[in-house]
Amino acid sequence: MNARPHDLKAMGEAASPAILLSGLTKHYGSHRALGGVDLEVRRGEKVVICGPSGSGKSTLIRCINALERHDGGRIVVNGIELTADEGTVQDIRQEVGMVFQHFNLFPHLTALENCMLAPQLNRGLTKPQAEKLAMLYLERVHLADHVRKYPSRLSGGQQQRVAIARALCMEPRILLFDEPTSALDPEMVNEVLGVMEELAASGVTMLCVTHEMGFARRVADRCVFMDHGEIVESGDAATFFEAPRSERLRGFLAQILR
Amino acid sequence: MNRLPIDPALAWESLPALLDGLKVTMIITAIPLVLGLALAFPICFARMSERRLPALLAEIFVVFFRGAPLLILLYLVYYGLGQIAALREGPFWILFGSPFGCAIVALALNHAAYMTEVLRGSLMAVPGGIVEASEALGISRRNIFIWVRMPLAIRYGLKAYQNEVISFIKGTAIVSVVTITDLTAVANTIFEQTYDPFTPILCAAAFYWAFVNLIRVGFTLWGRWLNRHNAEIVEVTVAAPVRGTALRRLAGLVKVTP
Repeated sequence: MNARPHDLKAMGEAASPAILLSGLTKHYGSHRALGGVDLEVRRGEKVVICGPSGSGKSTLIRCINALERHDGGRIVVNGIELTADEGTVQDIRQEVGMVFQHFNLFPHLTALENCMLAPQLNRGLTKPQAEKLAMLYLERVHLADHVRKYPSRLSGGQQQRVAIARALCMEPRILLFDEPTSALDPEMVNEVLGVMEELAASGVTMLCVTHEMGFARRVADRCVFMDHGEIVESGDAATFFEAPRSERLRGFLAQILR
Repeated sequence: MNRLPIDPALAWESLPALLDGLKVTMIITAIPLVLGLALAFPICFARMSERRLPALLAEIFVVFFRGAPLLILLYLVYYGLGQIAALREGPFWILFGSPFGCAIVALALNHAAYMTEVLRGSLMAVPGGIVEASEALGISRRNIFIWVRMPLAIRYGLKAYQNEVISFIKGTAIVSVVTITDLTAVANTIFEQTYDPFTPILCAAAFYWAFVNLIRVGFTLWGRWLNRHNAEIVEVTVAAPVRGTALRRLAGLVKVTP
């Protein structure tokens, strides 16, 4: 942190990281999904998490907005500690947007309505206000021409961009991505990554589980490698890919870059 | 047979009485449908509750009223409850003292038990990912139910609901055993008076058929309206190509056959 000591208020704001995880554990029955994860994401930082299937990376980001409840350690998001209290869950979910592998759009609502629902219900926006907001973000993901279509009429890439716009409509300060391009046909991956890169440039904090290494190199301030529910190695994108220190990461990179 | 099994003059003469019967059938259908559905919601919530006791009580309700034959249930309510002196002297006797009230109660309980399961199945069919996406957007549980789970559940459960309603309509014929003059009872009376078994029964059947199909058309239109979001998809992916591939397969068969 570079905050000057006399600027206490600014320091308070800047000193609390966007996401702070310490000693985070999560079990499914006897299976240990997360075994004491420590991770700090600064405000505005873009962090990419990768790792083999079953390494706990999805569980990790799903714990952050309490889609999975952690059973040990601490989660602090923008200074709010996630506890058993439902109130903290709702507070954190207002700060954090999430994009899923399988889009999970509301099939019975148009692209526009998908984006309008949460702002209307949570923030009490009127219909015209919500519509204006939804249009703004749908334009930002380059879907202005498709706003009246139902998800079933959109391609995978378009659906995922609607999902991104839907998350943005809550104007979260942190965005979580859970393998956003893994369910897409190859030719649609780039349109989604393109939108994500534009978002990254806007200054929002991003924590992204992905195997898109090109994206990681271009966008990530830091890459994190997980295996067996632990963070094995982390570093800036260049060293992460060019000079991996651990054997496990070397093996993993050899697998996916083949 | 050398003549029509139906006597047109008798049919015409019986028309007013049969229409009166149809009116009773419609009333004895509509009231329990509304009451049963209203009752099914809280029972379904109890059934799906994580708390043991409500879940168990709801399950006992469903097992009992779905398992009990409607005729026996009706007898129990009509003849059985009258044996309880406290009830005979209590305020509920207005309800249980009349055959109509008893029929309504028995039919509503039966319908509620079936609808609890239809509702539960429909709610469970809503993809978990869509509910998670709503949670991640910070939408409250209550609002997720109203705006996401229930609208989707209605779509998934519509066919099962339609089946239940149609078999329920026909099942109401049973109320004639407790002296209610519904469509079946009217037809039976005419038969007993004229010794013509065919005319009244076939006319009653025609009325049941018309009533059921009116309901069916209503459901079809409702379903079409609800599923407008993938109407075009159905046309494109089901109607045209299936016929195409079938023809192509046939053509292939012709070619390989020597």
